[in-house]
Amino acid sequence: MNKKREREEYLEVLWRIKEDGIEDPDYLKNAFGSDFEPTIIEDLEQAGHILTGDNGSIVTLTDAGYEYARKIIRAHRIAEKLICDALGGDFESGACEFEHILNTDLVDSICVLLGHPRRCPHGKPIPQGDCCKTAARTVQSPVMPLTELESGMSGRVAFINYSDDMQIYKMDTLKIKPGGMIKLLQKSPSFVVSCEGGDVALDDAVASNILLWKEGGQFNAGGENMLGPGKCRRKRGFGFMRRKSA
Amino acid sequence: MNNPGNIEIKRKIAVAGLPNTGKTLIFNGLTGDYNLVANCPFTTINIKNMPFSIDGDNDIEQYELIDTPGIFRFNTYSRSEMVTRDLLLFDSPDMIIQCIDAAQLKQSLSLTIDLLDLNIPLIICLNAIDETVRKGIVINSQRLSAILKVPVVESVATTGQGLDELKNAIRATFINYNKSLTTAPRNHYESSRTSAAPVSHHDLSRISTTLGNHNDLSRISTTLGNHNDSSRVSTTHRSHHDLSRTSAETMTHHNSSNVSSLSHIHTDYEDGISAIYSLFPENLSHKRVWAFLLMMNDPFVLSGLERLYPKEEIEPVISKAESIRKHFKGNIGLEINKKRNRWIDDVVEKVVRRQKLELEDFSQKVAGICRHPFWGVPVLFAIVYVMFLLVVHVANNIAAWMESHLWVPVEELVVSFLPTGFWHDFLIGDYGVLSLGVANAVITVLPILSVFFIMFNTLEDIGYIPNLTVLTRRLFQKVGLSGASVMPLVLGFGCKTMATMTTKSLQSPREKFIAIYLIAFAIPCAAQMGLNMSILGRMGTTAFLIVFSVLFVVEVTAGLLLNLLLEKEDQCLFIQELPRIRMPEPKAVLVKTWYKLYWFLKESLPVFIYAALALFTLDRVGVLDASKIFLSPVIEGFLGLPLEMVDALILCMARHEAAAGLIMNLIAARKLDFVQCIVAVTITTMFIPCFANIMAMIHELKFKSALGMAIIINVSSFLIAGLLNWVLLKIFV
Ligand SMILES: Nc1nc2c(ncn2[C@@H]2O[C@H](COP(=O)(O)OP(=O)(O)OP(=O)(O)O)[C@@H](O)[C@H]2O)c(=O)[nH]1
Ligand SMILES: [Mg+2]
Ligand SMILES: [Zn+2]
Ligand SMILES: [Zn+2]
Repeated sequence: MNKKREREEYLEVLWRIKEDGIEDPDYLKNAFGSDFEPTIIEDLEQAGHILTGDNGSIVTLTDAGYEYARKIIRAHRIAEKLICDALGGDFESGACEFEHILNTDLVDSICVLLGHPRRCPHGKPIPQGDCCKTAARTVQSPVMPLTELESGMSGRVAFINYSDDMQIYKMDTLKIKPGGMIKLLQKSPSFVVSCEGGDVALDDAVASNILLWKEGGQFNAGGENMLGPGKCRRKRGFGFMRRKSA
Repeated sequence: MNNPGNIEIKRKIAVAGLPNTGKTLIFNGLTGDYNLVANCPFTTINIKNMPFSIDGDNDIEQYELIDTPGIFRFNTYSRSEMVTRDLLLFDSPDMIIQCIDAAQLKQSLSLTIDLLDLNIPLIICLNAIDETVRKGIVINSQRLSAILKVPVVESVATTGQGLDELKNAIRATFINYNKSLTTAPRNHYESSRTSAAPVSHHDLSRISTTLGNHNDLSRISTTLGNHNDSSRVSTTHRSHHDLSRTSAETMTHHNSSNVSSLSHIHTDYEDGISAIYSLFPENLSHKRVWAFLLMMNDPFVLSGLERLYPKEEIEPVISKAESIRKHFKGNIGLEINKKRNRWIDDVVEKVVRRQKLELEDFSQKVAGICRHPFWGVPVLFAIVYVMFLLVVHVANNIAAWMESHLWVPVEELVVSFLPTGFWHDFLIGDYGVLSLGVANAVITVLPILSVFFIMFNTLEDIGYIPNLTVLTRRLFQKVGLSGASVMPLVLGFGCKTMATMTTKSLQSPREKFIAIYLIAFAIPCAAQMGLNMSILGRMGTTAFLIVFSVLFVVEVTAGLLLNLLLEKEDQCLFIQELPRIRMPEPKAVLVKTWYKLYWFLKESLPVFIYAALALFTLDRVGVLDASKIFLSPVIEGFLGLPLEMVDALILCMARHEAAAGLIMNLIAARKLDFVQCIVAVTITTMFIPCFANIMAMIHELKFKSALGMAIIINVSSFLIAGLLNWVLLKIFV
């Protein structure tokens, strides 16, 4: 393992400590278990990314470190989103590699491609990039909001942007969920979709946060619409990533 | 085990399931009782227990059946679903029948997973298979039974098909369960699970062999007829755990290839569940469910546990759950959903076959027209107009016929014995118990209600009313109601009391307040609507149009005002499941109408009679006249109504329907003209919500706010009626 990579992993954990409000002072140490290297902490401090306490155990991110960690987290979660949604693979293995490779421009263009997702597949917020603030749409996106689907057409849900867990649970009980098919019955005065045999009415705010794969989209690996019985849709590949991480 | 003659506690069987899946129809079918059925989610809002029996080979088994409000899943934010969850968790029934709408199997299986976690014998009732057959969907229920390891009974609740099989399954399951009990203590499964919970990795292979095992499959498929298979039920109670693991397993597997060194952080929620599990007090039942709820950070789980144990005792569990949640990589809820969905998709893929050819769906077409942004409105008006015509031309004629053939002879008979005097007045005077009490209820109101209810119940069974939420949502949003409160308001047109109780499911106190207010205010309930149509029909269609436009404007204004006055908060989103449009079943409609009329008579006939007695007494004592003189500036001056309307308003307080008869009499006696009639109907519609509605308001709000609301409603209804009188006089006189 190279040093840069390791340092980034440490920063990533420190970010999570901050994000989740974890108070356990030994969290960082425990997170790496026997692999924990005090020298990396020193490196990070020298680089001005972190501040250590008197006994060297209490660590906080400096502003520069925070910005750096933010970039890593953004890259990680965007990558997860890409792998999980666009390619249907198992995202854990790939994303961890990705975050160390991607530069800001590349991450932003993937972000545009995915329609500026707000949360990673785990439900964690994705730090916004410049592209999100301008809601750039220059790269052709493989997803579109439900609001852009034509009435009477069906689509497969790519992901759902949501503001609280309750909303996503409610949709889950109605089986509006990533990977599921929905058919748009009407758009006005309310959106009505048919999903797994049940009709559901939605308002515009909810509908615009349901993102669907575009028909025949480049990344639409699960492109077939008929979920015929016996058809396996789980093993959608992202083979090279898996090989890499193994 | 069941000794006739011995007093024993009846075993309880709960019918649970998603909303609008046919639970109540199954309940009615098994018990022979009648509980309200409608093609609309959350028709049932209260738990109802009824004894019922199953004829065995040589004895009769007595049980108690429980009808429950719909529930989507255990982890819920809705108080109406909490009613059922509390019943299942705290008063553990001895058996659960899960009613599943076969056309929406996937939605129901989430709840199945929760129910299996309870370790209570479960039977699945795959209902409404007539509809799946029509849609070209075939569900292999034997296969489903084999996978879930619980009996699956196919049924068509509307025709009673499958009820006998259901009864057999109940008996068989109890017999098997009791057999397994003789070899193990009651909490056998709990304890075996405690020890088994932390081990996880060999379950996968067990399940996969089970699924492929044809012996197993054939054994289950014969189960329903085979009462003596004792081994089956014991497997039943382990089943889900294994199944949830199947999917959990695949995830863990993936995660293990993860290069990340954060391996000690929980990525598998099952580990979390078993960690919490072991910390629970020894005697807690349904540990797995409680652990699951804690992991999901369920909003009601703490209050639930605190009902059972003092705070200190559960403190360690709660902090453990918190730390697990915190250290979990990602969002536990999403992770659990995802795993469950994988399992569900898997099961459905194995048991459901769909015809490729999509059949022409009649119900979708009708629904499309009803909800159409353009056609929806004319359809709504046409429906209301047809109802109006039928009430005016059919119901009024029936009432007139009954009056001349039933009431007139009685009146003549009384007059022939008691031409005048106290007893004459007591029986058939202005405030007579027979005239104002019995005849008012049975001869004036009942025919109108019968005709109106037949039509309204037909609409209810079609499922038209909930589909109106699609059309009306934008309007409600303008008056500060978003999301979940649209449905209760629309339901207010059926029964205001029920609608008020369904606001239980609203989380936002602000929306709840607005919804309850608007329901109580200018929305006429079905009975009131029918009677209003009948009264206004005597004055012509214009009167009808004016009154309903006024009520509409009043309602919207009240909503806008409340929206301005109450503190703003985040609007909750509108995600509303809609019932399928169904062909109405004439028999079901008639039975429902019959029961509604029966309940009306049972509840209101005494009220009508007491109200008549009260008015009679007040009149004799002289209080009535005194109060009329006192109120005359308001009634005659401000509202422009005859003083007799005071009687109507007093009756209104007892029962809204009672006032209608009086108003009709006033019209017949030419004491109310066009404008007066409109004012009278408007004020009686808005004036004091009926007693049951006030009780429901008190139940849902605090007593003080309910009372305040009632007072505001009454004052404003007078003001509005006065204003209306003034405006109408300008226009029409
Ligand atoms: N075609 C058909 N319709 C059914 C069947 N079972 C129930 N229904 C219809 O489904 C609707 C709902 O039935 P209910 O018995 O009220 O359902 P529920 O589960 O008690 O509903 P809630 O109390 O609202 O949760 C009614 O309109 C029934 O006519 C069935 O087997 N076939
Ligand atoms: Mg019911
Ligand atoms: Zn993530
Ligand atoms: Zn972006």
